[in-house]
Amino acid sequence: MSDESDKQNGAEASGRPERPAPEPPGYFEGESMTRRKAFTVAVQGIGGLAGAAIVLPAVGFAVAPIFHRGKERWEAVGPVNDFVEDTYRQVVFTETEGIGDAGKTTAYIRRSSEQLEEEPGKFVAVSNRCAHLGCPVRFVEAAGNFICPCHGGVYDFQGKRIGGPPVRPLDQFQTRVRAGQVEVGPRYSVTSQLEPVRARDPGEFTGGVWEYLYPPRPSTFPPP
Amino acid sequence: MLCTQATEDAGMRRPWGSGMKPADKQAYLEEYELLKKKGKPFFPYAVLKDSAMMLAVVGVIILMSVILGAEQGPKADPTTTTYVPRPEWYFFFLFELLRVIKPPELVPIATIGIPTICMVLLLLLPFYDRGPERNPIRRPIATTAGILTIIAMAYLTFLGATGGSPTEIEMEVAPQYEAGKEVVAGAGCLACHKIGENGNNGPGPELTHIAARIPRAAIVRSVEIGPGIMPSFRDLPPKKLNELADFLSSLD
Amino acid sequence: MKLDSLIPAPLRKPAKPGTGNGSKGPAPADLKTSPPERPSDAQRLGDRAKDAPADVLAWVDQRTAATGFLTGMLYRKVPKGTNWFYTLGSATLIAFIAQALTGVFLAMFYTPSTTQAYASIAHINNDVFLGQLVHGMHKWGSSVMVILIFLHMGRTFFFGAYKYPRELNWVIGVVLLILTMTMAFTGYLLPFDQRSFWASVVSININGTGPVVGPYLSDFLRAGPELGATTLSRFYAIHMLLVPGAIIAMIGAHMYLVVKLGTTAPPWLKAEKPKVAAPVSQLDAGVEGNGAAPQ
Repeated sequence: MSDESDKQNGAEASGRPERPAPEPPGYFEGESMTRRKAFTVAVQGIGGLAGAAIVLPAVGFAVAPIFHRGKERWEAVGPVNDFVEDTYRQVVFTETEGIGDAGKTTAYIRRSSEQLEEEPGKFVAVSNRCAHLGCPVRFVEAAGNFICPCHGGVYDFQGKRIGGPPVRPLDQFQTRVRAGQVEVGPRYSVTSQLEPVRARDPGEFTGGVWEYLYPPRPSTFPPP
Repeated sequence: MLCTQATEDAGMRRPWGSGMKPADKQAYLEEYELLKKKGKPFFPYAVLKDSAMMLAVVGVIILMSVILGAEQGPKADPTTTTYVPRPEWYFFFLFELLRVIKPPELVPIATIGIPTICMVLLLLLPFYDRGPERNPIRRPIATTAGILTIIAMAYLTFLGATGGSPTEIEMEVAPQYEAGKEVVAGAGCLACHKIGENGNNGPGPELTHIAARIPRAAIVRSVEIGPGIMPSFRDLPPKKLNELADFLSSLD
Repeated sequence: MKLDSLIPAPLRKPAKPGTGNGSKGPAPADLKTSPPERPSDAQRLGDRAKDAPADVLAWVDQRTAATGFLTGMLYRKVPKGTNWFYTLGSATLIAFIAQALTGVFLAMFYTPSTTQAYASIAHINNDVFLGQLVHGMHKWGSSVMVILIFLHMGRTFFFGAYKYPRELNWVIGVVLLILTMTMAFTGYLLPFDQRSFWASVVSININGTGPVVGPYLSDFLRAGPELGATTLSRFYAIHMLLVPGAIIAMIGAHMYLVVKLGTTAPPWLKAEKPKVAAPVSQLDAGVEGNGAAPQ
C-alpha cells in the first residue's frame, strides 16, 4: 500500500528508526490478503483476459495462413511427344487457383537425359523463379543456360547455379504422366546436388545445416 | 532531467558511460533559454516560412502529377520471360548492393544484414554520439560519416539507375554490327561479361574494349571452346557466330 | 461697453442668458443643448459583430480549456536564427497529409482483388473526374515524401538536434522513417502492374532470407507460400489502416516533443551571455566579468 511504502522510504531517507505501519481495522495476525490487493489482482486478471480475448483471435487470424496448406494441384501441360531431351520447352500453367492471371507461372520442361545420369523416362520441370530473389529467369537456347535479368544469376542446363548471386539451383515441379499427357504438380526445391527438399523461398540456402536455419514451412508439400 | 539528477546524487553509475556531464546539460539549457529569449514568436514568423514551404511542396506534387502523369504499365504477369524487374528509385541503392554482392554466401548479408545494421545504427545514434558539441564543423567524425553515407547512397542509387539488364546492350554501334549486337545480347553473354553499361562484371572479363586486347581469331576461339566455366557456343549457326565475332572485334 | 470693465465683476449687470461673458465665462463647447446621439441600429450591430470572435473563443474555451494550450503553442518563442532548413519537418508533414487525402479518394474507387485491381486503376485514370491527377499526386507524392524525410533527417543530423534532451524525438523520427518505407513497400503492390508485381515479389523474398523466422515472415506477408488471393488485401489493409494509424500516433508524439522541448538554434550561433558583475569571491579567483566558472 502506498501509504506504508511512503512512510517506510521516508523513514529510511531521513534516518529515523522504522515504525511498523498501522494495521487496517479488522486486521488479524497472519492476514496476507487485503481488499486493495484483491481488487488489484482482479483488475489485472480481468483486464488481461479482456485484452487477450480481443488480440489473440485477431493475431491468430493474421498468422493462420502460415499453417494452411492448399489442395495439391496437378495440371496437364502437353502431350508426351512434345518434349525433348536436349532443350527445354516453355509452358504456362496455373499454380494458384482463383486469382486469374496472377496465379499462373512459367515452367521449362524436358525429358530426363541419360547423359546427365538422370532416371530415364521421367520429365524434368524447372521453375522460372530465380533462386536469388524470385525474378523471372529465361532459358537461352544458344548458351543452354538460364539467365536472370535482375541481378545477373546464371544457371546451367540442369538448373544448377554457375554464376551470380543465386544461393541454390532452380526449383522444380513434380511431374507425372497421365493418359499420354505430362502433368506438373506441386513445387519443390533442390540442394546444390539436385536432391529434392521441401519448397523454399528464394534466397534461402538448402541442404545440411541450412535445413534448420531455414526450416521447412507447413504450407508447402512434401518433396518427391 | 530530474531523474538523472537523482541518480547522479545517489552516486549510481550508469552502465553505458557518462555522455554529457550534468554541467554540460545545464549549460546547454541555459544557453537555449537565452537564444529563445532573443527569438521571435512561432506565430506568425516561423509559421509563415512553414506555410510557404508547404505551398511549394503541394505545388511540386501537383506539377509532377500534371507533367509526368500516372500511366499504368502492362498488367502483372508472372509467366513473363522478357520483363526486367526494377524497384522504385528510392530503393535503387539496395538493388545495386544486391547486384554487386555476387558470392551466394554473402547474399543474406546484403539482403538482411547490412540494412538491419544500418537501421540499428541510425536508431541508436543519440546513445553513442553523446558529446555536447553540435556545430558540424567541430564534430569531424559525425560530419564525415554523414557525408560519406550520403555519397555512398547517391552513388549506389546512380549505379542502380543506369545499370541495364543483362539481356540487352545499350550501345550505339555502326549498322553493320547491329545484328552481331543482337546475337550477343540474346546469347546470354551479358550474364558473365560487362559490355558498356550492361551485363555483369563477373565471372567473365569485361568485353567493352576486348578488340583492343585480343585479335578476332582469339575471340572466335574463346567463343567456340568455352574456356573454364564459360560454356561453348559452337552450336550457334555459323552466320550468327560470324555476326557475333564481327561485333566483338569492333569493340576497341 | 468698455466702462463695464472698470466695474468689478460681481457688481456688473448679469448678461442675458445664452450670450456668454457671464461670471463663469462662455458656455462650455461640449454643453449638450440638443438630445444626445444614440447609436443607430446598424452601428450597434457592427459593434456586437466585432466582439463575436472573442465570444466564440470564450464559448469554446469555457468548454474545452483549449485556448491556453493553443496560445502557448502558437506564440511560443523559437530561438534566434531559425532559418528555412527548419521548414523541412512541416514539409514532410504536408506531404504525408497530401498522401493521406489523395489516398482516401483513391480508396473510394480501388478494388483490392487480384483480378480487378488493375482494371479499377485504369478506371480511375480514364473515367473518373480528376482521377489521373489524384492518382499522379499520390504516386509522385510518395517520392516527394521520401526525399523530404531524408532531407529532414539530414538537417537534424548535421545540426546535432538529436542530442540532449531530444534523443527520444530522434528515435521516434527513425521509427517514422521505417514506417514510411513500409508504406512505400506495401503501397507499391496495389496498382498490380508488372513493375509493382515483381518489385513486391523481390521485396517479400528479401524478407524471407532472414534466418529462422524469414520463411515464416514471407508466408505471413503473402498469406501463404505463393502470392495468392489474400496477399493483395493483406497489403491493402496494412497500407490503409495499420501503418497510417501508427504513423499518425508517432507524428503526434513527435510534434508534442517538438513543441515541449522546442527546436534547436542553428549550431553555429552562440548566445550572448548577459553581462553581470562577478561576486567578489570569484573576482579573487580571476574570473571573467560575465560570471563564467573558473577555467
